[in-house]
Amino acid sequence: MKHVRNFCIIAHIDHGKSTLADRLIQACGAVDDRKFRDQILDSMDLERERGITIKSNTVTLEYTAADGETYQLNLIDTPGHVDFSHEVRRSLMSCEGALLLVDASQGVEAQTVANLYLAMEYELELVPVINKIDLPAADIDRVSEEIDADLGLDPFEAIQCSAKNNVGIDEVLEAIIGKLPPPDGDPEGPLKALVFDAQYDKYRGVVMLVRVQDGVIRKGQSIRLMHTGADHVVEEVGYLKLEKVATGTLATGGVGYVIAGIKTIQDINIGDTLTETERPAQEPIPGYRDAKPVVYSSLYPMSSEDYGDLTKALDKLKLNDAALTFTKVSSAALGFGFRCGFLGLLHLDIVQERLEREFGMSLLLSAPTVQYDVTLTNGEAVEVDNPSFFPDAGDVECVEEPYIKASIMIPEKFLGAVMGLCREQRGEKTQFDYLAVGRVEVTSEMPLAEVLFDFYDRLKTVTRGYGSFDYEALDYRKTDIVKVDIMVNKERVDALSQLVHRDKARARALHYCDKLAETIPKHQFKIPIQGTIGGTIIARKTINAFRKDVTAKCYGGDITRKRKLLDKQKKGKQKMKMVGSVEIPQEAFIAVLKTEKEK
Amino acid sequence: MSPAVAAGAGLYLHIPFCSAVCPYCDFAVLPTAAASSRRYVRALIGELAMLAEEELAFDTIYFGGGTPSALAAADLEAVLKAARGRLASAEDAWLAMEVNPEDVSPAALDGWRELGVSMLSLGVQSFQEEELRFLGRRHSPAEGERAVREALEAGFDVVSADLIFGLPGQEPGRLLDSIRKLVELDPQHISCYQLTVHEGTPFHRRRLQGRLLELGESRQGELYELVHTELSSAGYSAYEVSNFAKTKAGRSRHNQKYWDHTPYLGAGLAAHSFSGRRRWWNEPGFEEYCGRVEGGERPLAGSEELSDAELALEAVMLGLRRSAGLDLERLRTVYGVNLLERNAALIERYVEDGVAVADGRLRLTSRGFAVADAVARSLDLGLD
Repeated sequence: MKHVRNFCIIAHIDHGKSTLADRLIQACGAVDDRKFRDQILDSMDLERERGITIKSNTVTLEYTAADGETYQLNLIDTPGHVDFSHEVRRSLMSCEGALLLVDASQGVEAQTVANLYLAMEYELELVPVINKIDLPAADIDRVSEEIDADLGLDPFEAIQCSAKNNVGIDEVLEAIIGKLPPPDGDPEGPLKALVFDAQYDKYRGVVMLVRVQDGVIRKGQSIRLMHTGADHVVEEVGYLKLEKVATGTLATGGVGYVIAGIKTIQDINIGDTLTETERPAQEPIPGYRDAKPVVYSSLYPMSSEDYGDLTKALDKLKLNDAALTFTKVSSAALGFGFRCGFLGLLHLDIVQERLEREFGMSLLLSAPTVQYDVTLTNGEAVEVDNPSFFPDAGDVECVEEPYIKASIMIPEKFLGAVMGLCREQRGEKTQFDYLAVGRVEVTSEMPLAEVLFDFYDRLKTVTRGYGSFDYEALDYRKTDIVKVDIMVNKERVDALSQLVHRDKARARALHYCDKLAETIPKHQFKIPIQGTIGGTIIARKTINAFRKDVTAKCYGGDITRKRKLLDKQKKGKQKMKMVGSVEIPQEAFIAVLKTEKEK
Repeated sequence: MSPAVAAGAGLYLHIPFCSAVCPYCDFAVLPTAAASSRRYVRALIGELAMLAEEELAFDTIYFGGGTPSALAAADLEAVLKAARGRLASAEDAWLAMEVNPEDVSPAALDGWRELGVSMLSLGVQSFQEEELRFLGRRHSPAEGERAVREALEAGFDVVSADLIFGLPGQEPGRLLDSIRKLVELDPQHISCYQLTVHEGTPFHRRRLQGRLLELGESRQGELYELVHTELSSAGYSAYEVSNFAKTKAGRSRHNQKYWDHTPYLGAGLAAHSFSGRRRWWNEPGFEEYCGRVEGGERPLAGSEELSDAELALEAVMLGLRRSAGLDLERLRTVYGVNLLERNAALIERYVEDGVAVADGRLRLTSRGFAVADAVARSLDLGLD
């Protein structure tokens, strides 16, 4: 065990985590240069393109250190984003130490701090690493200061490297051996192994990524998942060295994979503890929690005949994404679709993008919503994540909504603008701290729902792209939420109903009315577009009827041409969604719903 | 001859010549030249000789163009003789003819009367000097007025005058002035067409270059309304979107056939024909047309066989353009389309809004006429 090191790299996005991982893998000769490609641990196209890690991955490296001994290094790659913090937590639980990577020009950022706190929660040993030291904008002195002041780590311990140019990589490897502790655990005890992630393999079923705490995993062994209570037989066990290498056993302190004839990801819980059926452990490894969706949105196929394909695509995604939830919904305006639950906006974004790219789907998404806790006048409590199911105002005693603690890192000069933005987003207890000269962290407690609407984009605008944003969930708080319905020609368009804070209802309703009035073509009659709360009109727009739409001449030679045109127009109409007698083009829904994200 | 289809068909004879081609015109027209008009008349007579096989009997004949008045009455007579000689037609077939005001003279009027013309249709277009110039017309307001007056005095059954409205920047007052002047002359029939910029015309090119700014939809609507209210109060009722007559007898007997699927036969350049099921059309190019006829060949350029769905769609589209409206019963029995049932809410809304009247037939009001195309688009026929 003393020749094993389990570690991860924690970093703010773009600080070079994947590049450092690539260099460590190459330095240990785990892959020959011919097969190497950048971001080797990120297997999804989307991960590679966006430079983010969505799924955890792990690689076992053999390293012969300066002391002549050969060590087994288990690098556990974790997602960096807060939406996936449950995955981050489980990955951290599998490590004894972490490299804390800081960009030499950017310095300490929001996620660096957030991840540091997480790592400290799991009592990980930390080695600060300053990356990109050869950039012209590198400011090692300032970054050292920030490591001291903001992270409370010893800057003299920091290793300087440039992963991109392969500078200082040996020093990083030696620090892993020298400064990070080996795992401890009871090799004789009953098996206890943490399932920190799982992948789906279409031939083998579920491949669990595990970290053995006590005991040993052997091929043929009968194992039990402690939370589900299900027993399975180990078919294959081994290390991940970019590819699976079956070894027959996985020793105490080791990190590797287990295949045990489990069919789908739904059959296991990530974070569960593996033990022996014959000699089960007393307690599972603590810290297990369900990944609970916090953001909900309805997904509809652009054309209703693609509903079957969407069903298949979601089923496939779900195989590898245990956090994604979905149930069938139907909208009068948009037809059949799915109400989906996501871990956060990034998760939603990723699911949408994967559906569009990997499965060729063309989708319409309803406005993202949080889950509200509603207490009815009869004392009953209900959870509502879909505006369609929001109870009548008369039946509602009170509503609570989820709050988050937003943490926004900005250059000092944007402080005023960002404080103002927080106020507009119903932020409470807004505070700021100087992290270093010129850099401020603003924290504010605000409803998650506010972040969903247009917070990211407005933050980007007011800080000219210099702001970084992170959040953690707080609690549920009392709020005054109303359901805004959009009526087109006096008919409710169910897909556009939304739950909004009363103070913002009017502006939001007006925004929707404006967008619809711009995109719905004129009809033969006037079309009122209204935003209403419980039947009371709070916003209104009117699309005037056209006054003139008729061909002047229609004689012998004109008739065929005119019929063909009419036929074409009528076919084009089939792509429209009918709400009552109004034809609403897809573009109208897109225009209204897109602005949520892209305004 | 198969009497079932034969009775009451229309014959259209196309005369493609004009003294100059108007910049908005997209019909098959060419500038008059003595040599080509002689060749054309021969070809047209040649084509008619080949048409006996079409087995239709006509009770209306229509000389359209172009400008039939660009041809000498003797040429027109030769064409008519050929038609009557080869095709079964009623002895008293109703004959209509389009003429340009500048071609109207007492002698010409006498000639057309002798040909047996019942309805004379005059391309007056406007009584405003600058509007006529803009439209590229070769006559003055005074000539237009004189032509209508003399035609009326010559004693045709129906004298009709065309107006064009919706010119770029047209003020309602100018249009009103033209309408009132025409109403004062008191022709039996008036056609009012909104200016349409067709692809391939000089106006279209001008529009692409930004040198012609079409009137907006709302202004067009305003002028359209003005045309309809003004003519209606002067006793002209709109029996079609663009056609008005004081009495039933004053309507264009020939043109109405296009709108109720009565068969018609077209002869001449680019002329279209319809059998009740099939539609076909002639070569639009002068050389091709004449060449093929001279080679002893029918100058056909294309044809289509209409499905029930297509016929039903046409019936709806055309029916909505007429004051007679749409024969819902016929639509149901012939094509199996129950329009009222399929579109109950929508039609109710149209009736409520004063766009349509549903009384066994579906008829658009004059407000409805203004948006007849949109109404046709909106109705679900349930056919595909």
